[in-house]
Amino acid sequence: MILRQISRLRGAFMIAGWSGLGLVGLIVALGDFLARFPAGHLHAGPALAPPSALYPFGTDLLGRDVWSETVHALGVTAANGAAAAVLTLVLGGALGFVAMRLGAAPRLFLRWLMGVLAAAPALLLAIVLIGLSARGYAGVAAGLAAAPLAFVRAFDRARSQSRSRRSEYARATGISAATLIRRDLVYEFRGVFLSTAARALAAVAIVYSTVSFLGFGAEPPRRDLGLMIAAAEASYLGAWWTAAFPALFLIALILFARLAAGLDEGERA
Amino acid sequence: MRVALEESGKLALGLLGALVLALALSALSVPGAAHSPRAFALAALARLLAFLRLDFGTSRITDLPAVDMLASHVPVTATLIALGALVSVALGAPLGLLFGSGGLRRVAAPIVQIVSAAPVFVAGLAVAYAANRFLGWPPGAGPFPGPGELLHPDAQALRRVVLPALTVGFAGTAAIHVALRRAAAGEQDQPYRESLRRLGLSALEIDRVYVAPVILAGLFSSLGEVVVAFIASAVVSEWVFRCPGAADLFVKSVALGDWNMAGLILFLFCALSLVIAFIGRLLGGAILRAESQA
Repeated sequence: MILRQISRLRGAFMIAGWSGLGLVGLIVALGDFLARFPAGHLHAGPALAPPSALYPFGTDLLGRDVWSETVHALGVTAANGAAAAVLTLVLGGALGFVAMRLGAAPRLFLRWLMGVLAAAPALLLAIVLIGLSARGYAGVAAGLAAAPLAFVRAFDRARSQSRSRRSEYARATGISAATLIRRDLVYEFRGVFLSTAARALAAVAIVYSTVSFLGFGAEPPRRDLGLMIAAAEASYLGAWWTAAFPALFLIALILFARLAAGLDEGERA
Repeated sequence: MRVALEESGKLALGLLGALVLALALSALSVPGAAHSPRAFALAALARLLAFLRLDFGTSRITDLPAVDMLASHVPVTATLIALGALVSVALGAPLGLLFGSGGLRRVAAPIVQIVSAAPVFVAGLAVAYAANRFLGWPPGAGPFPGPGELLHPDAQALRRVVLPALTVGFAGTAAIHVALRRAAAGEQDQPYRESLRRLGLSALEIDRVYVAPVILAGLFSSLGEVVVAFIASAVVSEWVFRCPGAADLFVKSVALGDWNMAGLILFLFCALSLVIAFIGRLLGGAILRAESQA
């Protein structure tokens, strides 16, 4: 009875999460139509005007319309977050699962390497990767930085699966290793692929926006939410709207992704 | 004994990996190292020989020995993490135990997700805004107090420390809460609970005697992840509140291409999380063994 209630509640959260992500997608797709000014348009209004009918989210220090800027920045954050989540899924989740089935030497080496990288916060790894490349690769760096932890978790899950009685029976009946990998991959991702992807999106959105806040992400005029919040640091104590609205959009994106993941415990950045 | 040896081996390999990572970064500080793989390999070899002589290079920013720079910045980060850990234990453990089981767990789940959806830098800015608005505290004003001043802090020193420590503490609370809830979730619907209830034990007795040790062991086993969360939040907190700590130094070092410094700091943070994870796994395993013997 209770389990059925939990399952129903989880389903409702997932629907709410995916609907929210759909709404984000819609805002991003219609960004140029919804935003009243192009990205980075200076002096759209008076500097630091509070929210009003004319400027629903107010204006910032340089007179930019915060609503228009937030819509454009959401697009940059969501696009980079989605690309980074794909990288994390492929290089973390899927590779970790396949690596477990490799020969002893590559298997142990990869597990050791990823274990060491996972001991460092993904945020620091992303900063190093951007420092070694360029700010334009912040999305890729966020995806790569979040991959080691996803790899370790997928690898350890695959190891416990391969030691299960079901796998021993399969091997004893002569099923090939390749068939076993294919079948376990299907089991791993079937039904949970979307929630795994949503959880990865939540994790990389945090890393990506934080590196941007620290000055390692998007470059003006193509700002993302992290950079918008960083730019608002000079004015937000007197003009809360310059930071509050981009922060609310960022929290909404992460929250929708977590709800879409079925309220699984999120991976921290 | 076998488990301890196995874990010690894993720790040694992990520390070796962290050292290789630091070495690779440090090699980039050698002029021309990035031009070809051969030049990089030679630079890495030169840095390895220097590391063996305990020469960790000089900072490109200040031209001071990297170790001295690190030693002058670490106390700030250590203070923030220690105070943040105190806040986390004071807040996270009771919240985790309160909302970690039973009906409250289901009620708390959405609230926890909403609160923890805020990235640390957003939480830090919110804390700074609230302190400025309601207490009139200017963010990040004045020098960061040393350990001596922290033992007998004045109002200025307290103001300087409380906000970043609270931010680290909130992030740590979320990490501890997640670890406790993850451990509790595994025990929630175990069949032995029903058997014990039929034997006449109350839900509280079952939780206290049988479930609590397992949850505690789960928390200890996740200590590595908790420490990583503390370090990440210290990076952001030091940046938001202008605290001159090692995490802040790391960000500036990477931005300015000071790879000797960045490598050394990354090694310190990796080593810290590997050692704490090792201790946590040993303690978690010991609790579970003691529980199964009892």
